[in-house]
Amino acid sequence: MNKTVNINLAGIFFHIDEDAYLKLQRYLEAIKRSFTDSQGQSEIISDIEARIAELFSERVKNDKQVIGNKEVDDIISIMGQPEDYLVDDEIFEDEPISSQSRKSAPSKKLFRDTDNSYIGGVASGLGHYLGIDAVWVRLIWLLLAIGSGGTFIFIYILFWVLVPEALTTADKLTMTGEPVNISNIEKKIKDGFETVSDTVSDVAKNVSDSVSGAAKNVSNAAKKVDLKKQTNNIKSSSKTFFDAIGDIIMFFFTVFAKFVGIILLITGASALIALIVGLFSLGVTNIIHIPGMDLIDVANAGNTPIWLVSLLAFFTVGIPFFFLFYLGLKILINNLKSIGNIAKFTLLGIWILSIIGLIIIGIRQASEHAFNEIVVEKQEFYIAPADTLNIKMVHNDTYGSPYRNHQSFKFAHNEKGDKIIYSSDIEIIVKSTTDSLATLNIEKSADGRDYASAIERAKNISYHYKIKENDILLDNYLSTEVKNKFSDQEITVILYLPEGVIVNFNNNTKSFLNYRTYDGNIVSSEYANHFLKVITDDVECLDCPAEMDIDIQNGDNGININEEGINIKVDSSSLRINKNGLKANSSDVKVNIDSNGIQIKSDTN
Amino acid sequence: MKIENTKAQMRKGVLEYCILSVLKDEDAYVAEILDTLKDAKLLVVEGTIYPLLTRLKNVGLLNYRWEESTSGPPRKYYGLTETGKLFLNELNTTWNELQNAVNLVTRKKTTKDE
Repeated sequence: MNKTVNINLAGIFFHIDEDAYLKLQRYLEAIKRSFTDSQGQSEIISDIEARIAELFSERVKNDKQVIGNKEVDDIISIMGQPEDYLVDDEIFEDEPISSQSRKSAPSKKLFRDTDNSYIGGVASGLGHYLGIDAVWVRLIWLLLAIGSGGTFIFIYILFWVLVPEALTTADKLTMTGEPVNISNIEKKIKDGFETVSDTVSDVAKNVSDSVSGAAKNVSNAAKKVDLKKQTNNIKSSSKTFFDAIGDIIMFFFTVFAKFVGIILLITGASALIALIVGLFSLGVTNIIHIPGMDLIDVANAGNTPIWLVSLLAFFTVGIPFFFLFYLGLKILINNLKSIGNIAKFTLLGIWILSIIGLIIIGIRQASEHAFNEIVVEKQEFYIAPADTLNIKMVHNDTYGSPYRNHQSFKFAHNEKGDKIIYSSDIEIIVKSTTDSLATLNIEKSADGRDYASAIERAKNISYHYKIKENDILLDNYLSTEVKNKFSDQEITVILYLPEGVIVNFNNNTKSFLNYRTYDGNIVSSEYANHFLKVITDDVECLDCPAEMDIDIQNGDNGININEEGINIKVDSSSLRINKNGLKANSSDVKVNIDSNGIQIKSDTN
Repeated sequence: MKIENTKAQMRKGVLEYCILSVLKDEDAYVAEILDTLKDAKLLVVEGTIYPLLTRLKNVGLLNYRWEESTSGPPRKYYGLTETGKLFLNELNTTWNELQNAVNLVTRKKTTKDE
């Protein structure tokens, strides 16, 4: 029992066995491949189909008869194998083509050799194409597949899809065709030169012959003809010579094009591999937990799913690279299957949508920082004007560095074991006040998409300080729960100090103080570790190294005080005190006190 | 060099001329042309003729018209164009010259051999 198929062949209806149908279909496909469009492929095929229909009609006695394998075999033996359809264009070409340039034309095409295949016949096809044994190609594939962690398997699949299978004998012949090689071209140039030089010497000989012939007064009409022929010869020889040069230029051009193709192919493939690896390591993290990934998750204040972003990024970057890869492959392989317009436009559409998606996500992320709100905690405390106030940062060992680090955050576990975000984005600002009470303001600020969420985030910042007698202990970190995300959480500590108070900032506050003083901040990081007296809108440093340079001059006389020492000069007397010792000179006596002892010299003695 | 190839080349060389000759007096459709050529053993398989016919038609030596058929699909009746007729005349002359030349050469050989 056989299943039958109904076919319409040149407008005539036939019942045909399924296997016979498949055979016929393969046959017609194979014939189709023997022709190019320029030869009128579709017309030839429809003529052939009409003839087959006619031959079938002759064999079908009544409407119920089914066409089987036998009939199809008959038809094929009448019509001939696909090779029989091949027209040797050379015979019919109006302009004769030099057989040499035919030889050098790229006659080899890449097909998948499914006759000698292990998987898809890609390796054996490449082997034919490159002229090396398929075993080596397979070995290289295997090494690449293992070496690249399996990503070359993807490339293999691309080859499998894009490279056509060698179905017909014609395909198989093209697949194993003669390669274009340098030796062919070399041979051709040689031939070209030899013909030219031969012809030139022939002509020379002929000319001398004819000259001598003329001198001998012999009728040289025949030789004139000969000469003419030779000139034609030389013309045609030089033509083949220039053809050869043209072929060489074409050859190098082709080599260059293939080189570009290879570069495109490698660029495209490696970018795709990198992207796929990236996609898998990023996109899958929602399912598989990879340490460090939650850093990205926390910075992602907009709560956009990571897999979506990575997928969109993959498409945005990957699709152009895929086309690059495809272009490279197309340059390298003449008979590459087209991926089809639908696929091309789909990819283009996905690409544009991905870009739009990324833009939307970008705007969403940016809008997370649209509002910056501040929550203030205020505490007043008394400090006696003569007392010294000490300000220290308190370092918590679990939370890393004791220095200020603007705009960054880290993870830690708090005492309860919960995971928290912490940051050291803390700034200390000092102002003077005329009140008798000192005030400590803690400003917590955070970004958010709207007012409420920014306020909420600011409130959720946890920050501690202690005022203990004359000491203020400030935490050098702020922390917040992971669910609040990182959105520029900051702490600004504003200290209002009554005038007359003496304050000392511990050395560890240095990185949290502003690097300079400005209107509204009277203590800069330079002042850390010094005793400062608060005065109106400024501080007076009580133990800072003096930077004095007093120079009073009255003619030649004067007092000069600088870091070198003191120098006093009055007329002929002078007193110099510096690191070497004391030296007093007058017109009558000289006193020297230095490492050598005391020396007194008097003019009278 | 394979004898089969040479034979095929020889046949293919004159096939164009023969197709035009078949159509010289009256139009014919493919099966008729095929019958004539197959009877003369110029053609072994039918497939060869289709690309040739399309080719001759494309260069303007042949044209065709459709005719309905009672027993099968509509038939393409091929005929010579004016250019085709001139072309055929030239080919006739060439063929005669060639025939003479070939006869001359081959006969000389055989007489020498004898």
